[in-house]
Amino acid sequence: MAKFHPRVDLLTEYVAGILPLAQSACISAHLNYCPQCQQQSARLQDLGAVLFDSLTPVPVGDALLNTVLARLDEEPPLSYRRAQDPAVGRLPALLQRLMKGDFSELSWNKITSSLRISYLKTGDPGYEFALYHIKAGGKIPEHTHRGSEMTLVLQGGFSDAAGSYHEGDFLFREASDTHAPTALQSEDCICLAVLDAPLRFTSWKYRWMNPFLQLRAG
Amino acid sequence: MVEKRNDSASDGWQGPTGRRTDEWSECLTQIAATGDRAAFTRFFRHFAPLIKAFALSGSSLSAAHADELVQEVMLKAWQKASAFNPEKAAASTWVYTIARNCRTDMFRRLQKFDTPLAADDFMPDQEPSEPFAMLQSRRSRDTIHALMGTLPPDQAQILAKVYMEGKSHAEAAAELDLPLGTVKSRVRLAIQKLQIQIDR
Repeated sequence: MAKFHPRVDLLTEYVAGILPLAQSACISAHLNYCPQCQQQSARLQDLGAVLFDSLTPVPVGDALLNTVLARLDEEPPLSYRRAQDPAVGRLPALLQRLMKGDFSELSWNKITSSLRISYLKTGDPGYEFALYHIKAGGKIPEHTHRGSEMTLVLQGGFSDAAGSYHEGDFLFREASDTHAPTALQSEDCICLAVLDAPLRFTSWKYRWMNPFLQLRAG
Repeated sequence: MVEKRNDSASDGWQGPTGRRTDEWSECLTQIAATGDRAAFTRFFRHFAPLIKAFALSGSSLSAAHADELVQEVMLKAWQKASAFNPEKAAASTWVYTIARNCRTDMFRRLQKFDTPLAADDFMPDQEPSEPFAMLQSRRSRDTIHALMGTLPPDQAQILAKVYMEGKSHAEAAAELDLPLGTVKSRVRLAIQKLQIQIDR
């Protein structure tokens, strides 16, 4: 059961449908691990419905009604069928869809000896949406953020100075928080990270890489 | 602007079994069962003006796009009517969800997003299935409805901006010339006052 959750004000933006697409996908993935947040979202959706019900109606002419009536016999568009691949079956369907395969089929960029990153395409031009694979016991060099970072643990876990995080845990960091996450010793860790600006390594050993860390949004 | 309307009579329900008896849920069930176009026409006349109001709030969409949204939502309601489960949600919650998803998709289309995802894909894989989930929803709606009038106007205003006008907290803060933290805390306070905060 997830122990780290999005704050209620962030969930409100999610439920109202106004979060950027990439961030929305990350929160949606968290909900798949977290019945409490699902329940909180359901209540926030009830709130939306009450507000919707109390809007002052704006008149709609019969022409529009007739247009819709004339279209009722149209074939509904095909809807996406959720993948049931057992290898990735534990992952939220939304992620499976973006990955188009399992972890081994993705193309990975090696960053350090214990960290590799795979960038997924969401179509959101403002945010990078990527999977981080950290080897068991491996460390991500200490870094800070120029923007915000959402993280969701998909497999294994990691820890930093503030705590330790396991499958389904969600973290949201604002710009300029510095941390150096280390994967748990027992197994490799795979996380989803959503960024709106590139990481910036702070440790001297990796600082030379900063100019190469471009945001891969889209 | 969101106004409070007291029409809980049409929102009535019976006993603790959670069986829903409100007019629009029955109408929707009838549309699903028999493809009844007269029932759909009644449903349209009730919901289309709300969807249009939703589309136009905060002048987020042009009049032409608002009409397009009404068409899209009503057509989807017709096509998906058989998926409506009156045990799970009231018809108006169901319609609101479709309208919200269609509006989000329309915004993304207008911004020319090239994405494989539609707003429907963001719904969790499994809905909460506890036997009382529906009953809780019924109760929370009644509570929210009853408590809405007790919210301070500044909190009600932010909720309307976020939910109906589709403004992010940052956009609402800029528009009202308030610090972002104030907007977020008003949202949190409102949620506490409406008694929908869940321990997580």
